[in-house]
Amino acid sequence: MWRKSKPYLLLLPAAATIILLFFGGIFDGLLKSFGYFPAIGETELNLAAYDRLLHSASFWESMELTLRVAALSSFLSAVIGALIAVALFFLNESMKTNSPKAWHRLFQLPLTIPHLVAGYIVVLLFTQSGFVSRVLAAFGWIDNITEFPVLVNDPFGWGIILTYAWKEAPFVSLMLYPVLSRIHGSWREVSRVFGAGNWQFIREIVVPAIMPGWAIATFIVFVFTFSAFEVPYLLGVTYPSVLPVYSYQLYTSGTLSDRPEALAVNMILAAITILLGLVAYYFSKRWNVLKGWG
Amino acid sequence: MSDLRIIDIEKRYQAVQPKNDASFMLRPVRLSIREGEFFSLLGPSGCGKTTLLKLVAGLLQADGGEIWVGGENLTNVPPESRRFAMVFQQSLLFPHKTIEDNVAFGLKMQKVGKKQRLKAARDMLEQVGLAGFGNRFPDELSGGQQQRVALARALVANPRVLLMDEPFSALDPGLRKEMRELLSRIQKDFRVTVLFVTHDRDEAFALSDRIAVMGDGQLRQVGSARDLYERPETTAVASFLGLRNILSGVLKNSRFASSDGTIETDVTKQLTDGAYFMVIRPEAIKAAEGNQLGHVSVSGIVQELKYGRGMYSLKVNAGNQLLECVVTTTQAEKTAVGEPINLLVDMEEVWFLKE
Repeated sequence: MWRKSKPYLLLLPAAATIILLFFGGIFDGLLKSFGYFPAIGETELNLAAYDRLLHSASFWESMELTLRVAALSSFLSAVIGALIAVALFFLNESMKTNSPKAWHRLFQLPLTIPHLVAGYIVVLLFTQSGFVSRVLAAFGWIDNITEFPVLVNDPFGWGIILTYAWKEAPFVSLMLYPVLSRIHGSWREVSRVFGAGNWQFIREIVVPAIMPGWAIATFIVFVFTFSAFEVPYLLGVTYPSVLPVYSYQLYTSGTLSDRPEALAVNMILAAITILLGLVAYYFSKRWNVLKGWG
Repeated sequence: MSDLRIIDIEKRYQAVQPKNDASFMLRPVRLSIREGEFFSLLGPSGCGKTTLLKLVAGLLQADGGEIWVGGENLTNVPPESRRFAMVFQQSLLFPHKTIEDNVAFGLKMQKVGKKQRLKAARDMLEQVGLAGFGNRFPDELSGGQQQRVALARALVANPRVLLMDEPFSALDPGLRKEMRELLSRIQKDFRVTVLFVTHDRDEAFALSDRIAVMGDGQLRQVGSARDLYERPETTAVASFLGLRNILSGVLKNSRFASSDGTIETDVTKQLTDGAYFMVIRPEAIKAAEGNQLGHVSVSGIVQELKYGRGMYSLKVNAGNQLLECVVTTTQAEKTAVGEPINLLVDMEEVWFLKE
């Protein structure tokens, strides 16, 4: 009995901390989003915070911005990441030297940099008074740095999207490269003998091979960018703000009565993330994307 | 006629490191393979047979020479446009495609309509005994079944030449025999030209119309299985084909004397005087007493006695020479290791090679 339960008992302190902080936090947030807030004398459960949110124009504008930023960031990261992975794969196939490894390391570099630092790099490079605009002005390609497009702290969210594309594309390529390396070197020979050119090989073999990993990596990027806070906080505008920033603004507005709404935003974010996960799972099953790979 | 002609094709592999002289060279090869012929390249590992096969497929760039099929020069045609097919050592099926889609892959690349190519794939799967397996994935099939699918994939596109690179070497002996029979039947049914690479003598002998024995990057001899086995042109070919009884000696005035004195006998074959190798096939030696017309008697001590598939294989120490022969179970039961034995060599079955 003792021997059987010993591992569980040893795990208990860590497990209890995680359960208390993670699930406790979610549960506390859920209760508060339903209006249970004894600090301000509210002890009844209701959907008033959700109702107010769903009827607020700011919430829907935030939602639109969040979806746009997450979708464009994921799309760009997925495309750039896949291109990097395929390029590395073919580089590795065609060269016997160590240079593919060096390229590999170079593309891994953004992974080591924190999101906040990446955000600052984008600020330094792409603000109107940033490095890129000054270089362009110095070479005479633009007359004045004010002609440089507003890419940081812009209402569309280009700065956020750029940061995520730069930061997450290597993540996508890192997820895809091991999948690509599972492609048997001789499959290229097989496909050539049976009449497949380079593009047909990519379409028939490479893309189906990377599709499951690609879909999962893109989904992870989407979910992350959908609920991330620091980069949009640094590079976004005050209004409209992405949902996590909107939640923070509500939470720190100084009015305790706004807090159920702030937490309701978080609950909606969590619900959408779970829903997206289920949709991704459903389609991965339906497309049979993992079938046959063992 | 769409004969496959290989004209002086050659390939050099440079040593990876300049100081290392372990480079390999496939010396110019000239072969003509008739349409519908089953032709094997037989040789030990590293002799260049797979290199030659890949040169024919176009997967390797030749350093010289030409490849023709009928009146068409394919030397600079990329592999995808040669209309060849290939079966590799491993099945190399695409794991994310169903069996049907794997078989239909070549037809898809030829832009054949989906309905038509899937029907062709199903028909071909039936030919290789896998009817009803079309909707499965490769990992749901055994190794032997996967190799059948690879064969179906190769045949369905109606290739001008079917190239096979030791396709059965990864299978167990039972399956290998089964696959040989299947391939033999299908090759005759479809009348497809086959260029088959193997290091297995029995496999090459069982399947081929003609065989090219290769060694050290060059063709050593081309001929039918019987020609090669009974009339090898060099001791290297004889040795590779398992003929170990090779005695050097001198032929003078129609009398051959081996250098070690084991055999001295009259030779009825019309041969000029000179130094020769006498090649005695194991089947040309029998355990028997006394004299027989056309036979030469040799005595020795049994050094090894091994049972194999209904017959015993004997190694007999005769003078300085170790002779290999096969005897029946009854004959083997009359002797034992270390005992003297009398052998008779049938001189009609002996082959002489000029040194």
